[in-house]
Amino acid sequence: MSTVASAKEARKPKSTPRLENRQRPIWLRRVRHRLSGVLLIAFTLFMLLPILMIVNLSLRPATDRATGALDPPSHLAWSNYVDVFHQMNYLSSAGNTLLITAASATLVVLTGSSSAWAIARHTRGWTTWAYRLFLSGLTIPVFVLLTPLFVLMRDLNLLDNLLSVILANSALNLPLAVVFYSSFLRSVPTELEDAAAVDGCGLFGTYWHIVLPLLAPATATVTIFISLATWNDLILPLVFLSSPEKTTVILSVYDFLGIGGRFQTAQLFPAVVLASLPLFILFLVLQRHIVAGITAGMGKG
Amino acid sequence: MRFTNRSAILFMLPAAALFGLFVVYPTMRGLAMSLTDAQGVVGGNFVGPANYVRLLHDVDFANALRNTLLFAAVIVIVQNALGIAIASWMRNQNGVRKLVRSTLLLPTMMAFVVVGYVWSFVYSPLGGPINSLLTFVHLGSLQQVWLGDTKTALLAIAATSIWMYLGYTTTIYLAGYLSIPSDVSEAATIDGATGWARFRYIDWPLLAPALTVSITLSSIGSLRIFELPFVMSGGGPAGATDTLSYLVYRISFNAFNFGYGTAIATGLLIVTAVLAAVVTTLLRRREVSA
Repeated sequence: MSTVASAKEARKPKSTPRLENRQRPIWLRRVRHRLSGVLLIAFTLFMLLPILMIVNLSLRPATDRATGALDPPSHLAWSNYVDVFHQMNYLSSAGNTLLITAASATLVVLTGSSSAWAIARHTRGWTTWAYRLFLSGLTIPVFVLLTPLFVLMRDLNLLDNLLSVILANSALNLPLAVVFYSSFLRSVPTELEDAAAVDGCGLFGTYWHIVLPLLAPATATVTIFISLATWNDLILPLVFLSSPEKTTVILSVYDFLGIGGRFQTAQLFPAVVLASLPLFILFLVLQRHIVAGITAGMGKG
Repeated sequence: MRFTNRSAILFMLPAAALFGLFVVYPTMRGLAMSLTDAQGVVGGNFVGPANYVRLLHDVDFANALRNTLLFAAVIVIVQNALGIAIASWMRNQNGVRKLVRSTLLLPTMMAFVVVGYVWSFVYSPLGGPINSLLTFVHLGSLQQVWLGDTKTALLAIAATSIWMYLGYTTTIYLAGYLSIPSDVSEAATIDGATGWARFRYIDWPLLAPALTVSITLSSIGSLRIFELPFVMSGGGPAGATDTLSYLVYRISFNAFNFGYGTAIATGLLIVTAVLAAVVTTLLRRREVSA
């Protein structure tokens, strides 16, 4: 190290007034590094402020005089949550949303992986075109097909039925899964599948016992992304569902709060927390997979 | 793998059926519908390209197109610049890196509508958090009616969107930074490359793959911005935050003018496809040369 440093010293142009960080004493470098870290955390907290505000205000009793957003409440008004829980019919809407999410994820994982397997392993002209078709599906704005989709669901007698949301949602999320699974499979050698074939395992058996387990990490990521999109979706439930017992969490938040009106903090913020908490928990538990999905195919993260 | 054409078709059938019936078919019908004057959900006579001609002369469409492109430009540029800056800040901080990344990703887990409501509150003109903060630091004269002023509404909503997805963008660029081979970094350090020169000649070219991914995703995503203007400003004030998606919603589902609404949606589709193609081609070319 010292030889490199002294060689560098020898090459350093005499006219440079400012020292580079490497040439400063070590203790100063450490201080700068620490300071940089502290500032980074400060910035992160700054970005977190709205969420802290949400939690804080959700526990503020309605009787508290309206003060600063981050002033702590006089007492923790858990009753806010109880009230909103009932007004939003949370149990029912969460149950519906969970059903829609689980069904969509299952459907997409099964159809997407089987399709991607065929595309990745059977490279012909037509499979490439099928892949491109799925790929283009990623750029279609939902509004282009929303009206005809509504008509279709009506003709299939599926309006106000959770199934309409499940089917439409699955179809819209398929491209992501197919693309993801295909790229994953292309980087996996075929040895296990070939071995299964040699052992006399049929195509479907190979799929079920070899390929699906092999795809587990990709499935984890795909499931998470679909769950995220499905849980947070407003448009499909808004268009297809109408009965109160068929509502989803986000839809009920929208019904509850309306458009740009005046609402009490004691109503708004518990609703926000109730709507976001399941996904926050999912995120905290599965962070690794979420980051892996975001940085897919880009090397280290 | 011994797939035959027949078995491959069999395996692709479920996905093809699902996708074909619920995405491809409605899209085709939508395009067909845009060539009619359908009001309400049934009927409508074939009018050929009349809707598209109307589109080209429509002031509302031009306004929505302008706003949508403006949203996309602001969001893509600011979000990516900030993402790169924060990622470069994070890359050497091994200790707090994962915590920071996870915290920044939290807003991404929230629904658009929910974020919209929260930030409508944050932007409240009388005693809302932002205006109160400005007063508190004696900058009270800078207070605005953020969502009610045509000059600030679009930027305010863009800022909300950036808050939501900054963590996502930062994660992508952090991965990009961390995938710069260590021998390249070391060679650069030994050769005395620091600061801006280092960024320009070492980091920036090697971040090309991350740039492609992030810019493509953020541009496609921001072009279809709907829920935020829907919940925060209703496309106002005076159409200042009216976007193409919101216009489609208004025309199709409020005015029930399905034929014209779908034509606008097709316009949005074309804009998205063209932009995606341009962006991808430009960025891919950079990737190869870098």
